[in-house]
Amino acid sequence: MNTESSRPLYVLRARAIALAVPALLSLSACKSDKVTPADAGTDNPDNTVAATRAALLEASGACVLQTAREFQTVATAMESAVAAHAATPDATTRDAARAAYHQAMDAWQVAEVMQFGPAAPRSLPGGAEIRDNIYSWPLVSRCAIEEQIVNRGYESASFDSSLVSRRGLYALEYLLFFEGNDTACPGTSVIVSQGTWAALSADERAARKRAYAAVVAADVHRRADALVNAWAPDGQNFSRTLTTAGSGNAVYPSTQAALNSVSDAIFYFEREVKDLKVARPLALRDCSTSTCPEHLESQFAARSKANIRANLVGYRRMTEGCGENFSGTGFDDLLEASGADALAAKLRERNAAAAAGIDAVPGEDLAAVLAQDKASMRTMYDAIKGVTDVLKTELVTVLDLELPQSVEGDND
Amino acid sequence: MTEVASGKRPASGRLWQVLLAPRDIAALVAFRVALGLLIFVSAVRFLAYGWVDVLFTGPRFHFTYWGFGWVPALPAPWMHAVFGVLAVLGLCMAVGLFYRVTVGLLFVAFTYVQLVDVSNYLNHYYLVSLLLGLMLLVPAHRAFSVDAWRKPALRSDWLPSWCTLLLRFQVGVVYVFAGLAKLTGDWLLHAQPLSIWLSARTSLPLVGPMLDEPWVAYVAAWSGFLFDTTIVAFLLTRKLRPFAYVVVLGFHAATSALFPIGMFPVIMVTGALVFFEASWPRRLFRGLRARLARSSVAKSAAPAMPATLALSAPGWMGQVALGLALTYAVVQIAVPLRTHLYGGNVLWHEQGMRFSWRVMAREKNGSVTFIVRDPASDREWHVAPSQYLTRLQEREMSVQPDLILQLARHIARDFEAQGKGPVQVHAEAHVSLNGRPAELLVDPDVDLAREVDNLAPKRWIRPAPESPPIRLRSPLRSATAERP
Repeated sequence: MNTESSRPLYVLRARAIALAVPALLSLSACKSDKVTPADAGTDNPDNTVAATRAALLEASGACVLQTAREFQTVATAMESAVAAHAATPDATTRDAARAAYHQAMDAWQVAEVMQFGPAAPRSLPGGAEIRDNIYSWPLVSRCAIEEQIVNRGYESASFDSSLVSRRGLYALEYLLFFEGNDTACPGTSVIVSQGTWAALSADERAARKRAYAAVVAADVHRRADALVNAWAPDGQNFSRTLTTAGSGNAVYPSTQAALNSVSDAIFYFEREVKDLKVARPLALRDCSTSTCPEHLESQFAARSKANIRANLVGYRRMTEGCGENFSGTGFDDLLEASGADALAAKLRERNAAAAAGIDAVPGEDLAAVLAQDKASMRTMYDAIKGVTDVLKTELVTVLDLELPQSVEGDND
Repeated sequence: MTEVASGKRPASGRLWQVLLAPRDIAALVAFRVALGLLIFVSAVRFLAYGWVDVLFTGPRFHFTYWGFGWVPALPAPWMHAVFGVLAVLGLCMAVGLFYRVTVGLLFVAFTYVQLVDVSNYLNHYYLVSLLLGLMLLVPAHRAFSVDAWRKPALRSDWLPSWCTLLLRFQVGVVYVFAGLAKLTGDWLLHAQPLSIWLSARTSLPLVGPMLDEPWVAYVAAWSGFLFDTTIVAFLLTRKLRPFAYVVVLGFHAATSALFPIGMFPVIMVTGALVFFEASWPRRLFRGLRARLARSSVAKSAAPAMPATLALSAPGWMGQVALGLALTYAVVQIAVPLRTHLYGGNVLWHEQGMRFSWRVMAREKNGSVTFIVRDPASDREWHVAPSQYLTRLQEREMSVQPDLILQLARHIARDFEAQGKGPVQVHAEAHVSLNGRPAELLVDPDVDLAREVDNLAPKRWIRPAPESPPIRLRSPLRSATAERP
């Protein structure tokens, strides 16, 4: 039964407007106070776009904090495991350290899609570069790490302020997983031209790798603590900065600016995931041969697919919700509050299809997939593109989001 | 008895009388000063905010205007220098120093900057170029200028009224066509894209909470339409002009507060000054002076005008000038209308969109992937526009078919230069217009590398979506509907 039929719609609407318009003018502050708790599901007491935008910002901040805490937990475990391996080097401690690394990387890859606020580069609003200090990919250099192994740069007191390509999860992956004796450094590098790399015995090199790994794992743990502290209410509380966006907020002068910051971050799924992690190895770009496995992200641990899967989890947390099975407030709720229910459904469908596309790729090692079943990886690419097409077209249109790196002003 | 002797003039005589009637120079001087200062501020903004790097020297690829592919983009220090020169020239124009040379150089430099990259096209910068071109003809430096101070022979208190009429025509064209551009179902029946934009601004103080109400978008849409289509008539009506200008100020202040449209409101508020009577600056200053002196003096502000003008026989130069002016007017009216020769929805196919004053007429976003195929090897590459473009360029290109074509042809040349050719280039362009579900903008089966960019209709553009734009939910309606 249509509940609206008992009373003419225009009467209801006229009464509602007559009551609401004067009230709305004076109740703007009240609206912003009635923000839905982050994990309270999709219900929105006001069901207004304004309230949902505020709720989305609060949920996004809470989601980053939740994800950072998850990473902090596994980073703590990873530091212990890697330290144990350095102290007692055997297969058992090595495998434990590697497993801890996998857990940490899985958690971090979820956070990769949340590079706004303190995690972002300093050039962006609120940026403190924490992300690059934890994981700088694709700005990585195997040679830089090998030079550190030779000159024991990791023992320096200033190591934690050295180039990010010498630290973080990429360095750790190399140090824990790469077992070859060769170096990626060119002949012009000192460690090659002076023969210092070749002069290291295999045992010495392995010992230095373990010691280096322990230093890096501890550094990553500290950065994880810093990220949590930056967002936590009992720390620097960037969550509050995000949720109080608007006049007087030095970082986000408007709710829309804060929302743009969040949406810029989820474009990671287009730039880094679709274009760099999938299209390049597939030889769809920047590759002169039929495949380019050397462009896969996880070169040493062979977990490129797991990374992409985790990236999608992060994307879904932001766009659908951070709760269990992606419940809670996400961009889909804002779309629904705006009246774009079909688009919200489409967004969720594309996300699910991408998850299925990733899961359909056999195994975990995409290098093997590229060699044996390239078609399945191409199918995964198409599924991921389905997600990014919605992001770049309808989502930014309906919510009037600015694309990343837009110049403010003078548009007409 | 001749018509002249009887007091009646032939139509051409009356026309010349109107065009050559002396008018106080003061208003045009004020316009000169305001336009010069606007250009100064605009150039300084570009330098201060780093936009010269972002828009001109940063991009590796530049989209060119049809027929202007020969215009080079200067490297970094020179492009900054151009903006520095623009700032200086703007000040020179304001103070009336070396006026003809200054305005000529300003016109060339400002227009050059616009021609460097189509993706930077903005209606109001096109307007500034046109106004500079017109000001080159208007001797607005004959009073209150360094030139007039240096050369007393140059001084004059009046200018012929064609100077004002030309500028009024230009500004009027902008408003009228901007209004006509809103005569669409999307704007008037669905209040789009305003509804989308206003819904994103609910955090604004005071009015913000109302902005996601659909009726607000409808009021804004209809107000905008009525304002643009009627404001010229009101500004031309002497008694209504002050009120109309207050509305102009209010309208542009509101759009400036709501939308990131930079200099556009200021330029239009300045442009609308040409509708005021010629002595308004003198009256304003005299009034202010009287108020400061607490005097009630209200003498006529206008200077003495020549009693009559020799109207009988404008020379051949006058006839040529009139012909050129009429041609200009016809072009200015025809160019915005040219889209009707293409048919279809200009907001979708964009043929005839530029130079037509369709200001803030659509919200459009696209996702384009170029698919490059080598028929010989059957090899396929997917090219993301970001490999060639900045994000700003990509945003513009993604929704404009001629720019998609330009990049496709550039990609083909680039691949062939790398020895991977000849290749076919296809575009998979998903575009959402005013919140509609994204649809393909161009035919993905067409090899764009073989298509020529010209003014002919582009057959490879797919038909516009027929579905209505997105209808955003009314919070009040939602609350009502959810009531048990």
